Parts: sequence; structure tokens; C-alpha cells
Amino acid sequence: MPTEFFQNLGEMEIVGGLTVLSLLIGGIIMAVGIIVAKIAKLLFNKYYAPTLSKDTAQNIGKLIYFGIIIISFLVFTSSTGIDLSGLLVAGGIFAVVIGFATQSVVSNLISGIFLMAEKPAKQGDTIQIPDMSITGTLLDIGTFSSKLRKFDGTVIRIPNEKFFTANIRSLTVSTVRRADATVGIAYKDDIEKAISVIKNEILVTMPFILRIPEPEFRVEELGDSSVNIRVLVWHPKDDWSQAQPILLTTIKRALDNSGIEIPFPQRVIWEAKD
Amino acid sequence: MSQENSENPFSNYGVYEISDQIELSLPNTIIKIERIGENAFSYFRQDSEGNITEKMIPAKSNTINIEVAPIRPLNHPARRTGYIFLQFDKEIYLSENSAASIFVHCPVEIGLFLIHNSHRESLDWVTCNPLNSRFGLYGTPDTGTLCKYAEVSLATDYRDSIPYVEGVMKIVIENTLNTGQTVSKVIFPITDNSLYYEDSKTILDGIKVILRKRAVVSIADVSIESAKTDWTKSPTWEDTTVSTAMEMGLE
Repeated sequence: MPTEFFQNLGEMEIVGGLTVLSLLIGGIIMAVGIIVAKIAKLLFNKYYAPTLSKDTAQNIGKLIYFGIIIISFLVFTSSTGIDLSGLLVAGGIFAVVIGFATQSVVSNLISGIFLMAEKPAKQGDTIQIPDMSITGTLLDIGTFSSKLRKFDGTVIRIPNEKFFTANIRSLTVSTVRRADATVGIAYKDDIEKAISVIKNEILVTMPFILRIPEPEFRVEELGDSSVNIRVLVWHPKDDWSQAQPILLTTIKRALDNSGIEIPFPQRVIWEAKD
Repeated sequence: MSQENSENPFSNYGVYEISDQIELSLPNTIIKIERIGENAFSYFRQDSEGNITEKMIPAKSNTINIEVAPIRPLNHPARRTGYIFLQFDKEIYLSENSAASIFVHCPVEIGLFLIHNSHRESLDWVTCNPLNSRFGLYGTPDTGTLCKYAEVSLATDYRDSIPYVEGVMKIVIENTLNTGQTVSKVIFPITDNSLYYEDSKTILDGIKVILRKRAVVSIADVSIESAKTDWTKSPTWEDTTVSTAMEMGLE
């Protein structure tokens, strides 16, 4: 009975020699191929990926997954006897039509390939896209889009075309980064003393600030109410949180401890007499 | 193992067998290990910056053995590099085709190792001089090398080590150039330099620096020179806080 059933399926031709049975077998081959691809990727991610860099692991994972699926598809086409040459001829005509219809999709795909080849940023890098006012960690450069995790924990998807053509500022590619802050001191206070106490406080209490290059101090402006000093310090690229957010606190503590005034905005008014 | 002596109020480097409790005293640092159960000990450490670390140590026997030893100065405030930048307090001038051999102080940290079946497992580390444990950059911000930075002074010999804080390293500098050279700093990877200890003093493997010409560029070749000493060799401290993946289910 089952033999007859399969014989019937084998005789039911859909188009150009393609029978229901061969389509069924092809479907099973594709399904098995997808399952094998998923298992292979899973095993790779579990046992080998942790020893590789995130970027390399992600690319090899994709290569394994899509490689197995492509092989499955080739086995599927050869088992069903589908002649792809007809499709290729038809593809020439359809390519123009589809090209216009899926312009942005193809553009994203090509941009994705260029992004993977050029690697303006690696997975795990902290980057900033000034055009879009986005800063975050690059999670993945996918086939059509890239994903960034912003510092508030949300994930943003950017089409590869936009990502590829945007200005990308990498915050982690250099060995060190610079943090800065500006503070105003009263006109009556000694600038040299203020710089000295700030520098000492930074070097003693901020262990991630580099000794070489030394903290730099620039008297930037003789302002309306204060002499403004800009403080520039370098830190290892991964330790921004140990520098920029606490720099102003450290500066204020240093000035407070040495009795140097940080003045409020003030204006001297001269009253004219008749 | 001798624990303390009359000249030194602090605990010496070495192996300590703990059956009930012990309190190790290092400059500005207190370490306490005590039994809390049949086969468990507690570990408490307060460092010079007031940070407190507590751990539980399960044990298979009634006693545990701890080794206190100097380690490379790469862990405080966080491990970011394997390079060290030694800035000499006095420059060294070498005339053409000459060589000099000097001893310098080099900062060290202190490692605590749990001895288990004759091999050492990294338990904890401390630094007794956090103010001289900072970073420095050699080169430009984009392509330079991040290093641990230390301003160092010349030492007289291997016994000139400053207990718990600085060991002594021998540096041989050879100038093969046909002009005199002034050397004010050396930068090298310290990850292959071994450390040796006796009581509270430390020796580090030395380095040999050869100033020579490569094509039209003057370069400094740095190689390690093992220290010839019968002092005890320190174990290598390895970071054991690396997080391991926890499987939450299949994808």
C-alpha cells in the first residue's frame, strides 16, 4: 500500500519532469540540511567560538551555517533533476525587474558584504555614528542589517546601506583615550597652585589615569566670572568609566581641599551719580 | 617556614601550613585565613586602599598550605597589559661601543597561592604600594603600547630590594652604535621574567638591551637574562576570575 502511494506520487508530475515525490524528497533533504546546519553552528558556538575573537567566531559560524545550506540546496536540485539553466536564462529577464523592485534589499546585501570585507569596526567594538546620533557596542554585521546595543541596553538595527555610507567613529580602536573637563577658579586664586593640586589629586586618586602622557592643563579663557582651566587626561581605552565620569568630582575635591574658590557667575554694577 | 623575625614586623614570603587560623601581616594589608568547618576555610584580605576581599576555600584535608610570593606588577589597578615601562630617575650615558651593567628597583605585587598536590593555584594578589602602580603609554595613542609605568631608582646589588614593594633587576645595556647614547627608560614585556624571593626580598630576571643599527634606524633589542640565584622561584600568578559560560538551554 505505501509502495503504491509513493509510486503514485512519483507519477504525479508538477512541471518539467518535477514530480511530487522528488519534491518531497528534496524538501526532506533541505529540512535535514537546515537542521544539520543549525546543529553544526550550535556545536561550533559552544565548543570552539569561545576560544576565538567574537568577530571571527561570528563569521565562521555564518560560513558553516550557510555553507551547509548551500550544499543541501545543490543536493536538492540534483536529486530532483531541476535544470537551473532555464532559471538562469529567465533570470536575465527577471533580474532587471527584480533589480528595480528590490533595489534597497540588494543595496543592503552588497553593503553588508563590503562591511564584512572592509571591517570598519569589529563585533564588540564601541562605536559612534555621529550622523544618526547613535553610540553603542556593535553586536553583529548581518546580511542586510547591523545591530548595535546602546548604553541604555536597547538594541538598534541599522540597514547596512546606511551603516556603510555613514561616518563611523571607533571609540576602542586606539590603545588609549582622552577624557577632559573644564573648571573655573576665582581671579584672586593662584593658577599654578590650582593646577598643582588638581594634578596631584588626579594622580593619587585616579589609578587609571596615565602618567605618560601626563595630565595636561590649559588656561582656556579669562571668563566673565572665572579663569577657566581645561584638564585633559589619558586612560586605557576600556576604562572610560574610571576617568570621564569622576574627573570633575576629583577636580572639585582638590579645589575644595585647598580652599580654591569655584566662583558663581557674578557681575559688578557701577551706579552713576548725578 | 619562618614566619616573622625581629627586624621585620611583617610576614615573610614563603609557604605557610594552616590547620586552624593564621594572620599574615603585610605593609598596610591584613590577610586572615581561618577554619570555618570540617573541611572549609575562610579567606579575608583588607588591602592598603581599604578594599576587602572574602573567599571560602573548601579543603580535602585538615590543613591547607598557602604560599606567599612576589609576582609581576601587572594586576593593579586592573590587568590591561604585559609590558612594563621603567623610567630611570637618572639618565645613563653610554659612549660609543661601550656597555654598562646596572641594578634597578622594579615594582612587584604579592601573590597568594593555594598549594594543591604540589602545584600552585592562584588565590589572590595584593599590592603594598598602589600609588606607584600606574599606566603609561609608549608611542602614539593609536598605535602605541600600553604599559605599567614605574619611576625607578638604581639599586646597589640584588640584596638592595625594598621588602614587599620593589625587587631588584639587573639590566645590561650595550651600545654598538658609533655615537654616544643617553638611556632614560626601558620598555619590555615582563611576562617571561621570573621572580625569586628570600624572606621579604625579591629578585627579577634581568634584561639585556643592545642598541644597534638596523638599516638606517637605531633600535634597542631587549632579551631576558635569567638571574643566577639560589633564592626560591615564585609561582606564576594567573587570573582565575575569568567567567565561564553557563548553559541556560539550547538555542
